[in-house]
Parts: sequence; C-alpha cells; structure tokens
Amino acid sequence: MSDYYQNLSTRVQQSLPGRIGQCSVALGELTVEVPKAHLLEVCRVLRDEPEFACEQLIDLCGLDYSEYGNGSWSGPRYAVAYHLLSVQNNHRIRLKVFTDGEVPLVDSVVSIWSSANWYEREAFDLFGIVFEGHPDLRRILTDYGFVGHPFRKDFPISGNVEMRYDPEKGRVVYQPVSIDPRNLVPRVIRHDHRYVTPEVPAAQGDK
Amino acid sequence: MAEIRNFTLNFGPQHPAAHGVLRLILEMDGEVIQRADPHIGLLHRATEKLAEQRHYVQNLPYMDRLDYVSMMSNEHAYCLAVEKMLGIEVPERAQYIRVMFDEITRILNHLLWIGSHALDVGAMAMFLYAFREREDLMDCYEAVSGARLHAAYYRPGGVYRDLPERMPQYATRATKWHSEASLKASNQNRQGSLLDFIEDFANRFPGYVDEYETLLTDNRIWKQRTVGIGVVSPERALQMGFTGPMLRGSGVAWDLRKKQPYEVYDKLAFDIPVGSNGDSYDRYLVRIEEFRQSNRIIKQCVDWLRRNPGPVMVDDHKVAPPPRAEMKQDMEALIHHFKLVSEGISLPAGEAYAAVEHPKGEFGIYLVSDGANKPYRMKIRAPGFAHLSGFDEMVRGHMLADVVTVIGTQDIVFGEIDR
Amino acid sequence: MKTVMRFFKSLFLLELLQGMRVTGRYMFERKITVQYPEERAPLSPRFRGLHAQRRFPNGEERCIACKLCEVVCPALAITIESAQREDGSRRTTRYDIDLTKCIFCGFCEEACPVDAIVETNIYEYHGEQRGDLLMTKDKLLAVGDKYEQQIAADRAADAPYR
Repeated sequence: MSDYYQNLSTRVQQSLPGRIGQCSVALGELTVEVPKAHLLEVCRVLRDEPEFACEQLIDLCGLDYSEYGNGSWSGPRYAVAYHLLSVQNNHRIRLKVFTDGEVPLVDSVVSIWSSANWYEREAFDLFGIVFEGHPDLRRILTDYGFVGHPFRKDFPISGNVEMRYDPEKGRVVYQPVSIDPRNLVPRVIRHDHRYVTPEVPAAQGDK
Repeated sequence: MAEIRNFTLNFGPQHPAAHGVLRLILEMDGEVIQRADPHIGLLHRATEKLAEQRHYVQNLPYMDRLDYVSMMSNEHAYCLAVEKMLGIEVPERAQYIRVMFDEITRILNHLLWIGSHALDVGAMAMFLYAFREREDLMDCYEAVSGARLHAAYYRPGGVYRDLPERMPQYATRATKWHSEASLKASNQNRQGSLLDFIEDFANRFPGYVDEYETLLTDNRIWKQRTVGIGVVSPERALQMGFTGPMLRGSGVAWDLRKKQPYEVYDKLAFDIPVGSNGDSYDRYLVRIEEFRQSNRIIKQCVDWLRRNPGPVMVDDHKVAPPPRAEMKQDMEALIHHFKLVSEGISLPAGEAYAAVEHPKGEFGIYLVSDGANKPYRMKIRAPGFAHLSGFDEMVRGHMLADVVTVIGTQDIVFGEIDR
Repeated sequence: MKTVMRFFKSLFLLELLQGMRVTGRYMFERKITVQYPEERAPLSPRFRGLHAQRRFPNGEERCIACKLCEVVCPALAITIESAQREDGSRRTTRYDIDLTKCIFCGFCEEACPVDAIVETNIYEYHGEQRGDLLMTKDKLLAVGDKYEQQIAADRAADAPYR
C-alpha cells in the first residue's frame, strides 16, 4: 500500500515539475502541498490525466493552524485540505493549500468539481476563507446574520452572543453570552507514542 | 397580457417530508421546479469544534449523534481514524463484531429509509413493517451496548464489551391483550445468546424483504412516483461527489468494502448491486439488494463469532482501559484507568483520513493531531452533505410532488449534514 | 406475448392484489404490539437510564469524590464539590447531574472506580418545572436506595463482560 503511494508521489512530482511543493507519504496516504498560484492547474491535471484520474472531490475543508503545537506553528495560518478520490485507479490524494492574510484567498475549484460548491461555502462560513471565482459564496451552516467565523481558533467555544425571547419587547433578542466556559480536561502534548516508529516522518512539519 | 412571474415556495423546515429540518426555497414556474435552494444548518451543533475541546474517547458518543439512524457506522469511521494514527491492530473478534454491527446498522438505516420514503410517496404499511424489524435490531443494539440508538459501543482499540450470552426476555404474565402462550412465543427466539437471536433474525429477514418487494417493486403507484425521477448520470454523480447507493444507482460499481477493504470485509463473500438508469427506482432496487447482501454478511459473521471466542479489545492499557476486576485489584491497572479517563490517549502528530462505507455513502473522518490528547482539527465528511448539494440539479424540471421523492431517495438525515 | 401478459396483469391489478394479500394476512396474525405501559419490552442489564448513587451494604455512601465522572462526562453535566468529613473520609458535599445536559453515554459509570454512580434501567421519569431534572445528591441516593436490588442484579449479570 505504502509502496503504491510512494510510486504515485514520484509520478505526481514528475508530471507537475515546479508547480507543487512538498509531497509526503504517511500512514498510507499521499499529501501534496500546492502553492496557491498553481492550484487550479494542479487540480486539472490530477483530474484529467488518466494515471491520476481523480474524478471525485470527496472532501474539502478549512484548517486554522494558529494554535498548532501550542503556538509553535510558523507557517501561514490557514490551509485548505482537498481529499481527492480516483474511482478508476482506486487511490486517494490529499492536496493542501496554505493561505494567510486578513482575508485569506484561495481559488475556487467549483469549475473542476461541482461538489466543491457547498464545501467551499462551508469553509468560507466556518473559517472565513474566501474562494475566488465561487458562483455563490454565502454562509451555509450558521444562522442568517451570524457574525464571525466560528471554527477559527480565536472564536470562543461558547460563542459571543446568546439568544432569548424578551417578553417585554415581544421578540427574540441577542445579548452577550452569560455562561462561563468550563474545561475539565487540559490539553497536553505527549511524545511517548509506543507504536510509532521514529522513521515515519511527521506529515506536517514547520515550513 | 399579464406578466407571468415565477413564484417562490418555502418548503419546511417543519414539513413532515423534509426529514428533519430541511428548508427549501423552491422557485416554481406553475408546478415545475426552476431552482431549489436548500437552506441547511438548523441542526448545526459544531460537533467538529466541540471535538477540539474533548479528548479522544469523550468524542465517541458525539459520533452516534451525527447520522442518528446509523450510529455504529459513524463510530466505526472515528475509531478507524484514531487507530490508524495510533498504528494499532484491533483483535480479530472485535473486527468481526464491528463488521456484523455495521451490517446490522446498514439494515437499520435502510429500513428507516424504505419506511419513510414509502410513507412520503404514499405507502403507509411499509413504515409499520419496517419498524417491526427495526425493533428486533434495536434490541440487539440494546443487548450489546445498553442503548437502543446512541450506542457508544465501538472504542478505539476494539469494542467495549463482548456479546452477551443471554437475551433479555418479555415478562410472561398474561395481560389484557396477550395470553401467556402468546408472550412465551415472543420469547421463543430469546432463549439463547445474542448470536442465536441475530441468526434467527437473519433467517427470517429475507422473507420480510420479499414482502417489501411484493408491496412496492411492481406496484404501479410506486413505479409512477419513482421511475425516471431524479436521474443522475454516472459522470454527474462522480462530479457531484455522490457515494454509496446514490453512486451505485447510477451504475458505478464503487464500494469501499470491496475496493478499499477495512476490518475483515476482504474475508467475507458478498456482492455489490449496481443500478443502470440512475433514477429513484434504481436506487430503491440497489438498497433492497443491499438488505439481502448485508444479511448474508451477518450470517457469515455469526458463524465465525460462534467458533472463535477471544478478546475484543487490544491488550494495551495505554490505549484501552483495563477490565474492571483488574482495575480494582491491581494498582498499576488503577493508575492506567485514572490516566485514560482523565487525560485520554495522545495521538502522534500528523493527519489521517479514514472512511467507511456508511449506509448512505462514504463517511470519512479527517483527523489532524499535533500530538495532544485532543484532536487539533476533526473534519467529518458526511455523505448526505454532498448528496444534498446535488439536490438542485436532481429536482430541476420536476414537479413539486417529486421533490419529496428526491428527498426520500437521497436518504437525508440532518444530524450528519449539519453536524 | 409479453405485452399481452403485461396488459392483463395491469388490467386485473395483479400486483396491487398481491400487496393487499400481504397486508391482509397480517390482519389475522399474532399481534406483536407491546401495549405500554401495562406491558413492557424487555430491558438488557446493560441498559443506560436514570442515574443513581449507590451505598455500601453498611449504609455508607460509596462515592469518594474522586471526580473521574465529572472529568470524563463529555457533556459536562456533572458538578461535584467535596470536603473532608469529621471522621477524616473524603465525601462529596454536592453532586449534581443535570439530566437536561446528560447524553446517557454511560462513561460516568465506566469511569467510577467504586461503582458509586450507576445508570439504572429506569426510563420513565419526568420533571414538571425547571430544576426538576437536576438530580442532586439526595435524589440520586434516593433512587439508589429504592432500586438497589435491581441495580445489583444488573451489575452482577454483566460483570463477566466488563
């Protein structure tokens, strides 16, 4: 399994020289880092070349790396992960695009895979990543008129506003949250993983 | 001449055929749909964000609540992702138990689907028959995990408890409605172990499926409502990210259980049904055949489980808690127990994507860990989300009444779509 | 020939009649409906229902305020405060389970090292006003005292598997 993906990784690198970043194979999965500028081109090649033939975009999701490893992350803050599946060749490829800035921008892949439509709306809604060229970039999961992007790491788990019915005004009102966040299990990072052999490279290193 | 305008119809979120909380904005030209815009998110609970605050075992019961008609399949994907990152191998008996309950779950899910789909389209009796069988399967769920729906039974490293040797039984005192003999008859298949009960069910079940087929397959009303409705070509199905029966109904023979086998699926004999026209009727036929194939898998699992007792959890107390008796006797086991409960397992840094063939399609969990005891990011790849995003294309040009058929054929459950 | 057969089949509503034969047959079969509440469906000893606090046979409460259940509760439904008693033993002064938050996953019972907090097989309970479903320590102990026999029997039946 792992050999196949090593081989696939070499083939990807050969067909896209200079247009992709690091390729890594870990846990039987191939991760290809793609610079933002080449995303559409890389996606098109991966979909149309018969040796890759990734007809399906299985999943697309945003990531916010700002608190990764308790703040030891030094690369760009946001990333978008694409999970591609080839039904013909029976393999999966993960693409990762990093982006940063006040308004993180990534090209939309809706023109390549229709299924990207809602996934990109979701990533926009939850992370505020803007997909350039998306036909209808609206919020999808959060409430109408929601403020903020809830899955960013600086968004509190209990939110900013709460809602209740005000009998005097006769309507629903928003007010600042009144509950105290409660966390009983502290987050700890440990390095004593007995099953992981040291030669397996970490899939995601500092850039 | 008066100006003719399309008008907009609000469908749901409190419509009985909306399968929960689907709100559709339908743009209609007379009774023909011009555009459908599903508004989702009314059941959004931010499971993925909550997961970042909880350690790996604590997240498990939240998985049940994603697709709340196929609970154990969700847990399975999550456990596979965690196990993949830990690099552990689950005992074979646990793998067989998981596969057996995955297939029980598939039957449970398809039973609810066929019941509600037929009810939406106008066949009342199907719903009652489907729930009669669901009752038996939920008894299996309860016998093994203690809950009829939200089982929390699979754990990273195996399953929580072995299958029980006794089935709970009905009280046999005669009542106003049932004689003692009748109640004893209800207990007849509950005399042995859970495996006997499941086997008895698996023997009866093909007969029930025949009954469903008698009621629906040739029925003219059913055919008029489903044949040619919501046709998806294989190319479009792939483009739109369809998986599971939605993809197979269009004629693409893709099943993770065959193509990327996990657990022991490569040791079991079963077939993948494929449709040819890609309409609602074909998807119905595919799911009916999946009933029979799942039943076949269950029988093989029961047979294997009978012959092979053994552990159902990895014997490593850094991952799985020690048995209770040991925990009470042994100091070291007690420390492991405390550590696992209060801190949980830490996963090595990295990322993994694990997917299972969920009754609805490909259900995947994408885990990103930075080495902590909580996921750094967890993304749930819900099959229904992709299916619903193709909804507009499927209903365009159909009549209003067909919207209900398409919702039914997509087998929509909002727990997983809104997450 | 095939078309003729189809014509007659559809003219005489054959498939509809076959369907009605199935439903008609069930009219005379043994009824499997359970007439709740006079009749009950069977419950497994693993059933996870209403919570209870147990006592030792000598009447002393089991809970030692180790707070494992509070920590493991995914829904943060449990709140515990503890203090040292006069005899030097550590006991809870407050033990609340908010049943409106609880998701009945059974983790508290799994976590408890002294079998103090358990989930019984009671599934019929209700609250008539706000706060009724907040199970305080007294309420939990009362449930435990009342159903101790059943609780102990269920634990014993399931002990080999845990």
